[in-house]
Amino acid sequence: MIYEGKQKIWSDYQKDIPDDHYFYVRSCIRQSFFPASEAAFLKITRQELGKDIFETEHHTTCGGIAYHSDTIPQETAMTIIARQFALMAKYGYENYVCSCITSFGLYCETMETWREFPELEAKVRENLWKTCKLEFAKPKVLVHASDLIYKYRNLIAAQAKHKLVNVHTGRPLRAVEHIGCHYSKMFPSKGVGGAEYPYVLVGMIEAWGGEIIDYPERRHCCGFGFRQYLVKGNRGYSLSNTHKKFESMEPYQPDLIITNCPGCPYFLDRWQYVIAESTGKTYGENGHGIPVLTYEEVAGLVLGYDPWDLGLQTHQVGPEPLLDKMGIEYDPARKFLGKDGKDIGRPESCMYLK
Amino acid sequence: MKNNILIIGGGPAGLEAASGLQRLGYNVILIERSSMLGGHLASWDRLFPDGVSARGTLKGLLAQMDGVKCFTDTEVRSINRLEKSYNVILSNGITVLADAVLVASGFDLFKAEKKEEYGYGIYDHVVTNADLEAWFNAGPDSDTRIDKPKRIGFVHCVGSRDEKSGCRSCSKVCCATAVKQACEMKQAFPDAQVYCFYMDLRMFGRHYEDLYLSAQKDYSVRFIRGRVAEVSENVDGSLLVKAEDTVAGKPLKVTLDLLVLMAGMRPSAAGKRVGKLLEMPMEEDGFFAVRDGILAGQRSGLPGVFLAGAATGPKTLPETVAEARAAVVEIDRYLSDIFPNVKNYKTLVRERW
Amino acid sequence: MGRLYDLLMKDYRLKEGLNACINCGTCTAICPAAEFYRYDPRKIVDIVQSKDEEEIEKLLKSETIWYCGECMSCVTRCPRKNAPGLIVMALRNLSIELGYFVESEKGRQQCILTKDLCANILDYGYCVYPRRFDYAGHPEAGRVWEWEEKHLDDVFERLGGNLDGGGPGAMRRIPQEDLDELKRIFDETGATERMEKVRAAGLRKAAEMGLTEEEFMQKIYTDSDPKHLNR
Repeated sequence: MIYEGKQKIWSDYQKDIPDDHYFYVRSCIRQSFFPASEAAFLKITRQELGKDIFETEHHTTCGGIAYHSDTIPQETAMTIIARQFALMAKYGYENYVCSCITSFGLYCETMETWREFPELEAKVRENLWKTCKLEFAKPKVLVHASDLIYKYRNLIAAQAKHKLVNVHTGRPLRAVEHIGCHYSKMFPSKGVGGAEYPYVLVGMIEAWGGEIIDYPERRHCCGFGFRQYLVKGNRGYSLSNTHKKFESMEPYQPDLIITNCPGCPYFLDRWQYVIAESTGKTYGENGHGIPVLTYEEVAGLVLGYDPWDLGLQTHQVGPEPLLDKMGIEYDPARKFLGKDGKDIGRPESCMYLK
Repeated sequence: MKNNILIIGGGPAGLEAASGLQRLGYNVILIERSSMLGGHLASWDRLFPDGVSARGTLKGLLAQMDGVKCFTDTEVRSINRLEKSYNVILSNGITVLADAVLVASGFDLFKAEKKEEYGYGIYDHVVTNADLEAWFNAGPDSDTRIDKPKRIGFVHCVGSRDEKSGCRSCSKVCCATAVKQACEMKQAFPDAQVYCFYMDLRMFGRHYEDLYLSAQKDYSVRFIRGRVAEVSENVDGSLLVKAEDTVAGKPLKVTLDLLVLMAGMRPSAAGKRVGKLLEMPMEEDGFFAVRDGILAGQRSGLPGVFLAGAATGPKTLPETVAEARAAVVEIDRYLSDIFPNVKNYKTLVRERW
Repeated sequence: MGRLYDLLMKDYRLKEGLNACINCGTCTAICPAAEFYRYDPRKIVDIVQSKDEEEIEKLLKSETIWYCGECMSCVTRCPRKNAPGLIVMALRNLSIELGYFVESEKGRQQCILTKDLCANILDYGYCVYPRRFDYAGHPEAGRVWEWEEKHLDDVFERLGGNLDGGGPGAMRRIPQEDLDELKRIFDETGATERMEKVRAAGLRKAAEMGLTEEEFMQKIYTDSDPKHLNR
């Protein structure tokens, strides 16, 4: 592997990421399964980076999952998106930051389609006025939340309490990065680093002391496939895609997986559980799985946040092997406690997965 | 007083035209921007379809160059059109008053690293067609990327027929080159399994189809009709290649020890610079436009400026040499019309009669 | 031109996605669905560009168009700048509009997808809502989700969420007036009509199959014929 070859490509795919004053919209899946990640993102952006990032209670889903499950017409999705943009304009913002990768892809696709077919944009404008009496303005810049953390990765590194280094051996942690398909596969120029060698997560890992692994199925979809997971009869598709990735990354012995899409960490995490329980096979050391983290969780760990504040207890693959390697102190007794130490029980143990 | 002819480019087209015009009695000045004459031909090993030596062919082109004034490491600094001629200042300080200019600036090879998903310059065992020719010339230990490969793949159409790479057109010679090199690799590594991944096999020229047949019968080269979608590297450095066997209608993955990319032909960047100085009409893809594709293929849109070789589009060597000779005739005709009183060798001969 | 092809051409995803296919197979080579299912996106694009009315109708009624996972890996690589993923979305859209989707096992799944996802959007303003993501229906979500489901409010509170709460925050209760706007958007842009159409087609098919609506929904949710798989 010739690293300089990748660096040349990264320098070709730079992206305009705004400095401040962000309008934030959440992700359905992130909110459902990784609410602490979004909380951490806001905390980091506001308190550590001192930025103005605004969220209105009136924003909704962008409709992406419904759109990609073919349950709503394209015009519906576009009008919902227009409504989101109208809210952004209403609150005086022009930099749009979304938490979900499918959303990001859909926003890009929508704006490109409007650019090529202005009559469609005009129709959507009309729809929005008719239904909501709202006018929308397209964002000046639209980025994904991981682009922001990428942009400020060095500031975060400067304030780091922990690095992505194995404190026992002194070697950098080996990280697999997984980029959500809708980040740059449709529009490579809209992703930091492009579609083949995206840099948005690699940049974070490198800034925080880790080592990136490239493996053959790196660019392979995690297999969410929308309907291919949501309908029980199709779930084999989803499992088999993720399984393929794990088989491919196994020889490289990663210490962690970092992701920027909301759905991917859910799948990369839970299918490890399914593979372990149904075949006995695990991909980490000694019966453990490979911890799968969102980039907000990794940033939070690096900044010294408590792992249980970051929501790592809701991962099926326990993060403890990673926390131990990083030398992070955590209290196992507090792992499953609720707010103010409330005892809310704990999950059952798995048969194979530790 | 003879007519001056400036030839820009010392590749096969420029060389053949230079010697032809010199024999007709003109004063020929040839400039070449690199330090060697011969263009890409100088770096090749054996030519398709019959495997003749590239060096030998180049020798043949160079043999007739007596009397031509050659300047290597020289480029055009500026060109000004005067009433009937071009005032050209060269980078070596010399000024040429050229009554005709032949642009034979040739082509550049597509930069294979731009086709990111093939990993050129990133993975250890990916090379281009040019790299392979250089390896044939320099010897088996000259390129660490080529390390006793047992499984070799050839990827056709790299940077050609590809909107994403900015080049819709076919580069013409890559299919024949790939089949040739596939046979040559089998000669070098008789136990290796060789694959060619193609979309269409364009074996249009004389004896090309025979080369294809030989590749199959004599060398067991496997031809897979499917464009390579992605290349990755395994932990042991071998390459994982994904394509579809479109004939069978199934996706496939192949593990290879060496992948050779058939990089296509692009307009020469240096040629484009000269074209800009002259304000030469160009096609959308950057190759120079000719006045008429059938009846005036060596005339540019500008008076007194002629074209030959790959400067106007991908071309084989026989076509290039033929075009160079056609350009000689065109230039001779043109100069006889425009400068009827100038005494070149031909007019002297005519007068003697 | 054929009626079906003309209808397809009205979809912007086809306008964006079809640029003349040379059958190079790059899309199929990289397609996750092609590895798992008996699926070949190249063939789908070729059929659409042939404009053959009969073949397109077959396609709209087939299992084939429902195998795609809409990952868009094909879009990155196509040398002619086609987008098979978008073409599949346009085909699915038309299949649903014309009611052809109920002819295939995978197509029938639209009934439950449409019902659940649109209900989530209209009731809560989210595509996915944790209280409706039951462990019993999703055992793969793990022991951790089994536990979380029983203590959803506590877990959300612990993690800094705002489950069903007022004001901003993760999984907040979106104000009714916003949900009303979504409903009006659904009505105006044809999503409500889509929901009704899909339900009606499903009921018709259920009756044909001798099933109640509930039985039908259960069946389409779990059915999976091994013939789909690429062995």
